[in-house]
Amino acid sequence: MKIMPPLPDMKKRSFLKKVLNGTIAGSLYLVFPMGAGSFEPPEQIPGIRDREYDLMNQDFAFIVDITRCIGCGSCCVADKREYNVPDGNYRTWVERYVKGFSDQVYVDAPNGGLDGYQTPRADIREAVRDTFFVPKLCNMCREAPCVQVCPVGATFTSPDGFVLVDEKRCVGCAYCIQACPYSVRYLHPESRVVDKCTWCYHRVRKGLMPACVDVCPTGARKFGSLKDEDSEVYQILKGPGVLTVLKKDMGTWPALYYKGARREVV
Amino acid sequence: MDLSYKMRLVVLAVGLCILAGSGLLVKGFLVPESFGVYGPYRADAIMEEAALPIRHGTNTSCFSCHAHEANIHQAGLHKTISCEFCHGPYADHVADNKKTGTLPMKTGDEITTLCLRCHNTEIKARPEQVIKTVAMPDHLKDRQVKLSHNCSQCHHVHAPLKHILRADQIMDRAGQANELTEKDI
Repeated sequence: MKIMPPLPDMKKRSFLKKVLNGTIAGSLYLVFPMGAGSFEPPEQIPGIRDREYDLMNQDFAFIVDITRCIGCGSCCVADKREYNVPDGNYRTWVERYVKGFSDQVYVDAPNGGLDGYQTPRADIREAVRDTFFVPKLCNMCREAPCVQVCPVGATFTSPDGFVLVDEKRCVGCAYCIQACPYSVRYLHPESRVVDKCTWCYHRVRKGLMPACVDVCPTGARKFGSLKDEDSEVYQILKGPGVLTVLKKDMGTWPALYYKGARREVV
Repeated sequence: MDLSYKMRLVVLAVGLCILAGSGLLVKGFLVPESFGVYGPYRADAIMEEAALPIRHGTNTSCFSCHAHEANIHQAGLHKTISCEFCHGPYADHVADNKKTGTLPMKTGDEITTLCLRCHNTEIKARPEQVIKTVAMPDHLKDRQVKLSHNCSQCHHVHAPLKHILRADQIMDRAGQANELTEKDI
């Protein structure tokens, strides 16, 4: 049997101290993992973070898949929280369409879908032929009527294709609210300037999906860059599936596409 | 005043110069900086919009601390659901590396209401191939439990079939009551 020599210069007290310190440090390391808090979620739109954002050379598209929307209202809730949207105003909302056998179409959106759809419509007296949910948001028109009518240059299409509102410049005349064919604009009751869905521009510029896309549990909302051939939206737009835009005849050329939209959807 | 023809021309020219100069000066004050760089709008507004604070993280943000919940959530059928939808936005919970607030937990009937936001059969607009729906209280009667039961008494909210599959396993009736497999936790 080999007798262990005593450790050099190691008193019992200092040894215990070191062990104790190590234990505390170790347990703290478990409680606060490295980099917690300074945590940045992984990039969801490839190619935004690792190179300088080229404002002039971007093309984004948004696809809403009506055949996958379950009307849970996650998107509406996330949107309201992301921007602290005041009650009674909506940057995005979910409509419920009910089509009867008489071809009559019933549309409702109680509280914009924020509370979800808990009860069926009680006021429809005929047999229902078709029913579905339609999420609505800014169409990001390439030929935006709201931009054309703004008298002070507060609403503009940025070079990367987003229709934005300069809240320092907006005088709150609400001309653009009337001009928008999709009714996505509202006058903010406190700041008295116009606000609208921006496809979460601040998130996109940081490589994250818009809040509504990120929270959608069924993948009914899809967003991505058309410059990236691997992106889901590129693959869908390239493929043979039928995509439509809302109010095509108005010549607004939206960058928001709908999959599975019936002709009644406006 | 009796000015010569040349003098009149000079006065006119000087007057026009002063007018144009003051016009330019006023324009300089009124037109904001960076106006017209890309078009008839303030180019700085783009950067201001991009600089807005992010309030929602992603599920990965939550999982960076909540490893236990992450393991359950990611293995279950509810893996596509956002943590923040039920619990609230990341920004209300964490700021500058520190916990700043406690996000609410749903309890009791709130849980059932939340579940039925998606899983209510009565709402026919839900595509069947996308979501499995139940009718209430038929489902409770069918499973022979009290009608006062909340969903969470049988279903783990983060992985709805976790307990159910485990119970089937223990009772040795796997695949009988539910045609489910291990991956459908």
